[in-house]
Amino acid sequence: MTIRNINDHGQRYRPRMACLKKVEALVVEMQDPKNGVKSQTQRLVITTIPHAITGEDIVAWIANCFKVNSEEAQAIGTMMVAFGYIYPLQDHKRLIIKPDASLYRFQTPYFWPTQQWPAEDTDYAIYLAKRNIRKKGMLELHEQEHYNSLHKWMNHKWDFIVMQAKEQYRAGKERKKPDRVVFDCQERAYWVVHRPPPGTVSAMDYGIDRLIDPNIEEVTEIIYTQQSIMRSRVKSSVSLGAIVKYMTTYKSHDPFLAPCLPSNPWLTDDVTYWDLNMPNVEIPTKMRVERWTFGFGELLSDPRGRADFRLFLKKEFSGENLAFWETCEDLKWGAAATMKEKAQQIYKTFLAPGAPRWINIDGKTMEITVKGLVHPHRYVLDAAQTHIYMLMKKDSFGRYMKSPVFKETQKKAINPEAHRFSEAQLEQNARKRTRKASLSPLIVRQQEEEAKARLAASGPVDITQVMSKLDRRNMLKEGEKKELEKKEDTVGQRKGSRGQRRRNTRLCKFTAPVPHLAVYTGICESQQSNTRELLPPSPGFITLPNSAACPSPISVAIHSTPASERKFECHGGSTSAPFPSIAESAELSVESNSSMGTRAPEDPQPSAPRSRVTLSLSRFLRRGCSSSSVFASLSPKCPPATGSRVQPLGHEPLSQPQPKRIANFFQIKVDIPPECRIYPIDSEDEEEECPNAGTGAVKEIICPWET
Amino acid sequence: MNRWRKSVGEIQARRRQVIECERGQAALCKVTACYKQLASFLGSSSDCSRLREELEETRTMAYTISKGVQKRLTTLLTEGELGQEEREEVERVWVLFISGLEMFQQDLRKAAALQDLFPLTQRRDRRALLNTGCAGGGSGVAARAASVQTPWIRVEEEPGPDLRTHALQLDGMAQEMLQKVNVPFWSVEATQEAWPEDTEIEPEDDDGEEEEEAAAVAAMGDALEVEVVSPEQDRGRGCCRNKRCRLGWVLCLLN
Repeated sequence: MTIRNINDHGQRYRPRMACLKKVEALVVEMQDPKNGVKSQTQRLVITTIPHAITGEDIVAWIANCFKVNSEEAQAIGTMMVAFGYIYPLQDHKRLIIKPDASLYRFQTPYFWPTQQWPAEDTDYAIYLAKRNIRKKGMLELHEQEHYNSLHKWMNHKWDFIVMQAKEQYRAGKERKKPDRVVFDCQERAYWVVHRPPPGTVSAMDYGIDRLIDPNIEEVTEIIYTQQSIMRSRVKSSVSLGAIVKYMTTYKSHDPFLAPCLPSNPWLTDDVTYWDLNMPNVEIPTKMRVERWTFGFGELLSDPRGRADFRLFLKKEFSGENLAFWETCEDLKWGAAATMKEKAQQIYKTFLAPGAPRWINIDGKTMEITVKGLVHPHRYVLDAAQTHIYMLMKKDSFGRYMKSPVFKETQKKAINPEAHRFSEAQLEQNARKRTRKASLSPLIVRQQEEEAKARLAASGPVDITQVMSKLDRRNMLKEGEKKELEKKEDTVGQRKGSRGQRRRNTRLCKFTAPVPHLAVYTGICESQQSNTRELLPPSPGFITLPNSAACPSPISVAIHSTPASERKFECHGGSTSAPFPSIAESAELSVESNSSMGTRAPEDPQPSAPRSRVTLSLSRFLRRGCSSSSVFASLSPKCPPATGSRVQPLGHEPLSQPQPKRIANFFQIKVDIPPECRIYPIDSEDEEEECPNAGTGAVKEIICPWET
Repeated sequence: MNRWRKSVGEIQARRRQVIECERGQAALCKVTACYKQLASFLGSSSDCSRLREELEETRTMAYTISKGVQKRLTTLLTEGELGQEEREEVERVWVLFISGLEMFQQDLRKAAALQDLFPLTQRRDRRALLNTGCAGGGSGVAARAASVQTPWIRVEEEPGPDLRTHALQLDGMAQEMLQKVNVPFWSVEATQEAWPEDTEIEPEDDDGEEEEEAAAVAAMGDALEVEVVSPEQDRGRGCCRNKRCRLGWVLCLLN
């Protein structure tokens, strides 16, 4: 059975052709022997067949019946023929009514067009086979093609089709000669309507199917009225005003209403206009720049405008807004497979407390977003994105318009002169056009990718990085722990809004391999002093908790030393949970802050070297995986040489190189995921540290438990 | 020896069953073809109560045949132990049978709708009947249908359903069959090739007359033709092909 006979739940409904019923009624009227169209007999060579009607009679009758003029009557007649209620006896393939003596006949109701039972392919196949039997292969070309394709598609029932065709043919023979002729004409006319020859259209072609069953009663009145109430209404004066405003703004930019400079490529075959308006062209045209002033949306949607805006924001150090908006767009429109990672990435980069490119959105939106991120989907960041968009629009956009960046661009924008081609030149252009091909889209795409990569490689302007550099410079100048603390306070004040980050950087040190740090007294203070350096972005921060679990083998060793134990206790809480959550860490930091304060006066002496150690450790941690291999190779046993180092370390002022070497000692099996490396923090540091890392590593190692 | 004889007997019995099914299916084909011819009269000026009676008779005959074939096919495919070739044959018959049922069901529905549209209960309803040019009735066709023989036609006579119920029943019948036996339709291949009609040996007793008429009609300048012979050259070819067309080749020269 074909699928039709099994309940088709994906049923599509045909748009009703209500005219069919009306035409049927008309036909019944027409054939009325008394009041209908006059009928005559058709004389063939041997037989005569009654009930033939002429075209002119039909048209006259319709005109009389509906009181219309003859043209309209002819149109109605043509419609009837097109549907197949009347078929022409001569010129059977042209389904029109000819208002002359050409003959027509009424179609038998069995072959009337219906929508309930569309003309089946099986029947068509049987018909073609029958014709083939009768005429020994005298099918027309399109019929032959149909035949072949049906043979292919219906191969499984082909035997049935042939059998049925033969039987029908034989059954037809049982009829009298004139009836047979009539039946053949009827059938042929039916199939001309339903399988029109190429170049013609079937009148039964109603387009695509509907989605709802038009026969079922609609019970949507209440919903309909509710929805119409809910619809927002706008006064026509308001909407008209908006249209007028739009028109006046965009009038000169419309390619139909205003000529585009230099010339319309479609008209003159000169593609200068397109070249000048490429998405990432260096110097935009004046019209393009003007368009940016129309609205923030225009600026953003134009890639050149967006690039300009990006530059401006970079100078203003608020590039994270645009970056966030762009990444949200990427999430919205990107592939579903990578959505989850992208969302997480965005969170770590932009939304998490202490993120490197933290965006400033209100608490409620943040709450909603974070909640949504538990189960991320395409539009989870929509609220935040809208917030940022409005922020940029209301704030940055205005400033951009007044900024020197924009003014510069405006000044540099070119205004090409209109071309004035002569006829000959136009022809030449047309000839040229066929030879010169524009850039292949593959190449254009490649260029886009490269541009994107360059943009990404140039690095996001990490505000934390900038601030951290400032802080470190300050620290070096002082060199004293207490002063450092003071500095930190001032820095903290300065950084007001970045307080979160401060807090979280402390978290880093506690979620870092704390037990090791525990060995070095002065963790607290030095760590404090290191807060600014410990600016690892949240990714590093988030992943660091893992490392807390790692140091267990070493922590055992550490446990043996009383010094470490002491420190251990104060951080005992922090090690309890191998993967402390953010909130927990915050609590820990609070705790340790307090403990820090207590510890500070106790161990001023050992704190100094340890501070350096911890400094280096933190830096090491920040450096992440790149250093891990180094550490792995080193053994926990301290080389004897280091013992001497302790003293000098205590007296030397804090210097950057020192902590580095000590840091190498901590070869904890820290599985710091690559995310740590995303943030090019302390790029200066890295450059300095790297060359020393290898050389100084083994020599100046300090055994923590030997101090 | 006894076992061997028994197995031979079994094989023969199975063979007989298969042949029975095939014959039944062919008979059904015949009857449904006749039904179609009769149904085309409905609503035309030759429609009368006699025609409708004939329709009914043909339909009941189709019903009995189809019921019988269904029963036999189902038992063969579900219980019978068939060899590979036999199985393929029976599956083929199965597919053809279901296709036939489908087509028949369509015809039944159409007939029911037409009978509703053109009821013959009152005299004045006759006015509504279309003058389609058909003069004669379908008695010849009905007789042909009635002449169909199947082994079980006399034995398993049960009262058939009426028209509408029959149409509905066919749905159920098909569903039942599809559920009981799992025969993928695509696995059946046609035994006949495309364009088998070229090698057909059909009794062409009055074909000559038809050709004549068609040719003569063509000579009258694109007047009624029975068949589509639109391109000029084809017409000539078609005419000449039939050896018995005396007039044809004269007209070919004209054309």
